[in-house]
Amino acid sequence: MVEIELRNLTKLFGDVVAADHVNLTIEDGEFFTLLGPSGCGKTTTMRMIAGLEFPTEGRVLFDGQDVTGLPSFERNTGMVFQNYALWPHLKVFENVAYGLNVRKIPKDQVKERVLGILDQVELEGMEDRFPTQLSGGQQQRVALARVLVINPAVLLLDEPLSNLDANLRVQMREEIKALQRRLKITTVYVTHDQEEAMSVSDRIAIQNHGKVRQIGSPTEIYNVPQDIFIATFMGRGTLLEGEATSTEGGVHMRIGNITLQGLDSTGSIKQGDMVACVIRPENYCIDEPIEPSNVLEGEVEWASFIGPYTEVRLDVDGNKVLVDVPPGMEAPVGGRLKVYIPYKNTIMLPLEE
Amino acid sequence: MPHSTTTRRSPPSLAASLRGNAVTLSWAEFPSVKEKVEKLRRELDPLTLVQTLVSYTILLAFLVAPLSSLVLQGFRFQGDLSLRWFTDILTSPEYVSLQSRGGRMFEVRRGVMYIWGFDHGILLNSLFVAFSVTVLCSVIGIAVAMIMGRYEFKGKSIFRVILLIPLLATPFVNAYVVGKVFNPQFGLLNYLLYDLLHVIPWRISVDGLVGLMVAQTLSYYPIVYLNVVASLNNIDPSLEEMAENLGATGFRLFRTVTFPLFLPGLVAGAVITFIFSLEDLGAPIGFIGATANPLAKNVASYQIYSAFAEACTGQISPKTSALALLIMIITVVSYVAVKTYTSRRSYAMISKGGRWSPRLRTPGLGVQAAICLSLLLLVLWGAMPQIGTFVLASTNWATSGTLPTRFTGEFFKALLTNKDVTRAIVNSLGYSFAAVAIMVLVGSSISYVVSKRDIPSKNILDMLATVPISVPGVSLAVSYFLFFSTPFFRGSLLDPLTDPALLLIIAYTIRRLPFMTRSVYAGLQQIDKSLEEASLNLGATRTTTFVKIVIPLIVTNVISGALLSFVYSMAEVSTSITLGALREDRVPITFFISQIVYGTAAVGAVSIGASLCILLMTVQITAMAVSNFVLKQKASFLGV
Repeated sequence: MVEIELRNLTKLFGDVVAADHVNLTIEDGEFFTLLGPSGCGKTTTMRMIAGLEFPTEGRVLFDGQDVTGLPSFERNTGMVFQNYALWPHLKVFENVAYGLNVRKIPKDQVKERVLGILDQVELEGMEDRFPTQLSGGQQQRVALARVLVINPAVLLLDEPLSNLDANLRVQMREEIKALQRRLKITTVYVTHDQEEAMSVSDRIAIQNHGKVRQIGSPTEIYNVPQDIFIATFMGRGTLLEGEATSTEGGVHMRIGNITLQGLDSTGSIKQGDMVACVIRPENYCIDEPIEPSNVLEGEVEWASFIGPYTEVRLDVDGNKVLVDVPPGMEAPVGGRLKVYIPYKNTIMLPLEE
Repeated sequence: MPHSTTTRRSPPSLAASLRGNAVTLSWAEFPSVKEKVEKLRRELDPLTLVQTLVSYTILLAFLVAPLSSLVLQGFRFQGDLSLRWFTDILTSPEYVSLQSRGGRMFEVRRGVMYIWGFDHGILLNSLFVAFSVTVLCSVIGIAVAMIMGRYEFKGKSIFRVILLIPLLATPFVNAYVVGKVFNPQFGLLNYLLYDLLHVIPWRISVDGLVGLMVAQTLSYYPIVYLNVVASLNNIDPSLEEMAENLGATGFRLFRTVTFPLFLPGLVAGAVITFIFSLEDLGAPIGFIGATANPLAKNVASYQIYSAFAEACTGQISPKTSALALLIMIITVVSYVAVKTYTSRRSYAMISKGGRWSPRLRTPGLGVQAAICLSLLLLVLWGAMPQIGTFVLASTNWATSGTLPTRFTGEFFKALLTNKDVTRAIVNSLGYSFAAVAIMVLVGSSISYVVSKRDIPSKNILDMLATVPISVPGVSLAVSYFLFFSTPFFRGSLLDPLTDPALLLIIAYTIRRLPFMTRSVYAGLQQIDKSLEEASLNLGATRTTTFVKIVIPLIVTNVISGALLSFVYSMAEVSTSITLGALREDRVPITFFISQIVYGTAAVGAVSIGASLCILLMTVQITAMAVSNFVLKQKASFLGV
């Protein structure tokens, strides 16, 4: 088990910056997720930890030891690839035994360990099949077993669930999380799916354009995003822009005739700054709550029944606001609707250039 | 994904780092240079290093160096750089003559219409023949491809196979058969059309340059057909459907959508046809054997070949070298140009998503019958050399006149009993096996480095491994002779005058390397890089990964490429009949056949040549069958 530290990790592909001065520490036994839109550099960052890509600048340290120049086969990391990368010419047993054979482990031990790990991932009896004879979920488990059997210092998972269908994805992510808890193995997980990231991770690093924008627990990142990109990337929301009129007891923002009050997420907003207010549609209340809240009233411009709720677009003095309305409630298009949003769920962020 | 970030950073400018204290320059100030050096160090693991070095050594020593010496000799006159030999060639009417120097075209004399073509000098003749063959093959190839690629009809699967018969190797004998069939006195065609059916007013003599054209067109049209039909099948049908939907049908649809989309395939097939025609020795020698018409000799490939007759004395005239260089420049330049063009235009791949089946129409029975009949006629024409070879080998046709009169097995028996014949067979087998062994090593190394490793100059390696398909065999032979008969190599195993065996093996290796690399490359393209990375990640070195993961995954491609290269090595003509001629006990099969057909062997012995061709065809059919049905590989690469 190992602690991973990335120092100023930078990778250029030609002129393109894939990773831009990434600094972070992944603690021993932590489930750490690199989250970001496609092309943000998260996979590149992971591949530099695996030793499959080498940084243009910066260092990779395992337990304080510099492994930046070490080739992949000397790092003892176990990577599960997005497409699983199972070798089609080898049976399940041979796929899983590969890492042990390379390490020149005696045959009887290899057999014992391979069968043991296949048992753990619930693939007992499948060892003589070829990968193509397995379902997507089973292939995924083989890929996992293949790296776990070598007792890697670090488990690297590159969008491991993206090739599975929705139901299986939820099931597998629970299994992976359970397995990781049991083995207490330092794990780096790469995904572009924020829901997946939040459900499995101890901590998340959000990456965009190669740069790490925020590191924190799922709740921190969701509730106290540090910039507009993160606020909008983590879930749905309405973005309203205006001027900060006061910073007494939270940020007061005026937009047209409306004044909104909310939390200063970054703690850097000053009176007179241009600010963005982010409100998540699921945080509205239809009845006035006990907590101090902002009130918004407008005309229902558009409503769409999703199932768990009805998605409604309100026109509040010309500002379009997205609101989730409980399924039992009527919100006819053209009608008026009054909603409340607690101050603590109103996120204020400095407006970027 | 890692390549699509949008942030850009300019590299540190040299001027900026030189400003101020210029002495404190360090690696740190040039991260790009430092990174390149480190990256190269990482990429050049022991396996890659060995593969790259071996590949470069062989290509430099046996392709670049000899061809360079050919270039040097071509540009040197009395010790100085000079264009003397080229101006000589281009100004002497023997090579280039705008006025006809002889020959007959549609000329009727004493009841015979002569269709020979006019002699405009060796170089123009060669270009004229090659160009005409390319045009004819393109027309036939497109027509057949449109039928095979767009219509469904009874017997199509049979035609798919028999249309390829002309690709079966019958060196020299094919042209001999064409010459014999077109012979004005006792040829089969005149017998049929003039004597029997009286449909033509004169006997016809197709010979000389036109004869070469006919013989080559019959052999090469499948090359264009295969390339075009492959392109056609690659076109997303929705593209044509969209055009039809917008109102374009018939010829307009063909001209505006279909044709432009298969054009890259057509050009690829056409340039190979052009190159093959320009370097071809089989047709001239075969025709001379059949009709002794000197006009068939007046092409560049034959002239270079005949210069080898004097090469035993240790000399090849500079003018011959210059001619060899000149046609090589023509073929290589057209090949490289087409390769560049086609690599820029691979539109067929733009549409993504799902597999499609090509648009097939099932016409009415009448049209189906017409299609079958015309294809059958074409196949009969195209397969005439192969059929003729079979008849020659199994009957007394060689000496019996218009038609054979009896069957005989004596010529097949000669393959085993005639000492000269068996020696040639053994020689060819030996050379081909040895060449294939080298090709397997070098070819898979090159393909692996080119497709999977990121080292500088890998594009050069790729080019060097594929360009030999465009180097005329005679030019390569001349260059080998010039380079390896120099005093430096004299008496060594590489000296062709001492023993041509090793050079023949190397020549086969170099000439057929493109088949090998193409086949392996196709296999490697199917291997996602994550399959190798997973192995590295699990602790295997690059070498272990190559042996345990890569090789098992490409083994069918390697075998298939090896079979194809073996077949084409056995049937190799140009270097076999030039370098191979330098020592009697080293001659390969094709040299033996050429000697028989050319007429130095006894009359009637051409049937032994034909039976050798049957042997070659059998090897070829077996190899193709194994490749297609056992290994499930498409083993008919003849493109750019």
